[in-house]
Amino acid sequence: MATAPELLPYSRIRQDLFRPLAGISRNYLLATLAALTVGAAGLLAWGYQLHRGMGVTGLQRPVFWGLYIVDFVFWIGISHAGTLISAILRLTDATWRKPITRAAEAITVFALAIGAMFPIIHLGRAWLFYWLLPYPNARMIWPNFRSPLLWDLTAIVTYMTGSTIYLYLPMIPDMAQLAEHNTRWRRVLYGALSLGWTGSDREWLALGRAIKLMACLILAVAVSVHTVVAWDFSMALAPMWHSTIFGPYFVAGAIFSGIAALVVVMAALRKVLHLELYLTRRHFNNLAKLLLLMSLLWFYFTMAENLTVWYGNEPKEMAVFGARTRAHYAPYFWATVILNFVVPLVLLGVRRLRTIATATMASVCVLVGMWLERFVIVVPTLANPRLAAAASLYTPTWVEVAITAATFAAMGMMYLVFSKLFPIIAVWEFKPHEQEEA
Amino acid sequence: MYLIGEFREKDAVRSAIQMLRAGGLSCADLDLFSEEPAEFPPGLLDRPSRMSLVAVAGAILFGLLSTAFVYWTQHNYRLVTGGMPVFSFWATGVITYEMTMLGAIVAVFGWFLWESGLIRRRDKSAPVPQVRPGSMALRVRCHAEQAARASEAMSRAGAIGVARRGES
Repeated sequence: MATAPELLPYSRIRQDLFRPLAGISRNYLLATLAALTVGAAGLLAWGYQLHRGMGVTGLQRPVFWGLYIVDFVFWIGISHAGTLISAILRLTDATWRKPITRAAEAITVFALAIGAMFPIIHLGRAWLFYWLLPYPNARMIWPNFRSPLLWDLTAIVTYMTGSTIYLYLPMIPDMAQLAEHNTRWRRVLYGALSLGWTGSDREWLALGRAIKLMACLILAVAVSVHTVVAWDFSMALAPMWHSTIFGPYFVAGAIFSGIAALVVVMAALRKVLHLELYLTRRHFNNLAKLLLLMSLLWFYFTMAENLTVWYGNEPKEMAVFGARTRAHYAPYFWATVILNFVVPLVLLGVRRLRTIATATMASVCVLVGMWLERFVIVVPTLANPRLAAAASLYTPTWVEVAITAATFAAMGMMYLVFSKLFPIIAVWEFKPHEQEEA
Repeated sequence: MYLIGEFREKDAVRSAIQMLRAGGLSCADLDLFSEEPAEFPPGLLDRPSRMSLVAVAGAILFGLLSTAFVYWTQHNYRLVTGGMPVFSFWATGVITYEMTMLGAIVAVFGWFLWESGLIRRRDKSAPVPQVRPGSMALRVRCHAEQAARASEAMSRAGAIGVARRGES
């Protein structure tokens, strides 16, 4: 039986967790190269779109929101992994969280940075993004603060600021340790980032208080951010968007996809960085149970939303409902039900089947399913507007697909760089404490 | 002047702090350096904090400022709205909420930097002990005439070594 990491000597823990920072393996280089290639293809596609205009996308009347908004909602959802998982587990003092919190918090920052790019990509004339900022135009008219676009901006800025600080705070003691014995440029980097941390009791107490308070604040912000994203849709009087449960439905979906992303990232880190001793079956088992719970909650919301529409039988709503469940978009809708509910229920609901491999498989399915779910929410409503004669179909072009693929590569790239610069598991939090040793 | 006592056991540190406090030294004179957060019973090495209060103050400040900003900017240009309100608190409530939370977040981070002493101007003469793995260092600021008693207290409590620094 493997030794619990808390029982290992601290020197060994430090050695194990700082080891991945040194040296670059061939596999690491190959992965970086692959991510760079896909990322570069996406940048080229974006450059082409900037040069030729939005006509190169599949967006046309009446479907003005396509893959870009799907990606935006998806990545903002993924960003809920860190804040919610980490903050909830910190506040409840769950000791098993220690190896997973930093990985989760990093997902939040990276996913948010990627998600925040999409409104700018979607603008078309991206160089005018600063029009969103609160400053008066030539006629001294300020932006309309009642616009959901401004809501998104403030919500994302707040969330980005909060989650970056929330990621940074617990890294300070580790960076102070790394600054002691390292190569010159790393010493400079970690020394600057650790702000002269000495490990005094004043610093530890202030850090503990700040992390606790930030956990409380970030929870409130995380819930509000995805609610605001949901309100982008539900404030419109569009069929199957104008729904009061969209806020909690989106928040539940965000936590769901966030946990799935965390499991996939943990499985990759475990394998690549050889962290089998630290990311154990227990962690995957606990996260798998959370994933299963969120799967059930997601199914409940999906049922509540669709059953109400079906029972109401309102013609305009039924047009969208029909497109989703029986017509053009039906394969996507039913795929979401299978990937988000049936697969997790079978793989994670049966105790004997619940392993690291099945938890990872179920998480990959959930990620695909949640991306499709965002697609099924965004596109069919726009494709079937209240004016039936205006109904149309939407097919994304290679430009949108390339940019979407690039965002996944960007996520991988950011994680690769992060895991080479900073320990992916908080080392100081692993130091055995008296009560745990007892 | 400063005394630095090195300890292996947390209980020994606790006894040392108790003896030093009983000998007339205050919490402000004592600093414990360790590789992990060390928690003691209340009253032993208290560090009162106003972080929660500052977070609330930051939230209120940002909330009020953002509401005022939105209100005045919307009234800055006389739009014809057909009798509808130019400023609606409910419709801009999201902005107010997010800015309120941002205020609390910024305040917590700023106060953390201040309270931990990371950005405050420190006493350059105060020595920062090198903490060896598995040990803790207690730094005591005292007058020269108190040094012998403080050093003896730390040794009796179980310090594995006591060093004098900053003697003038």
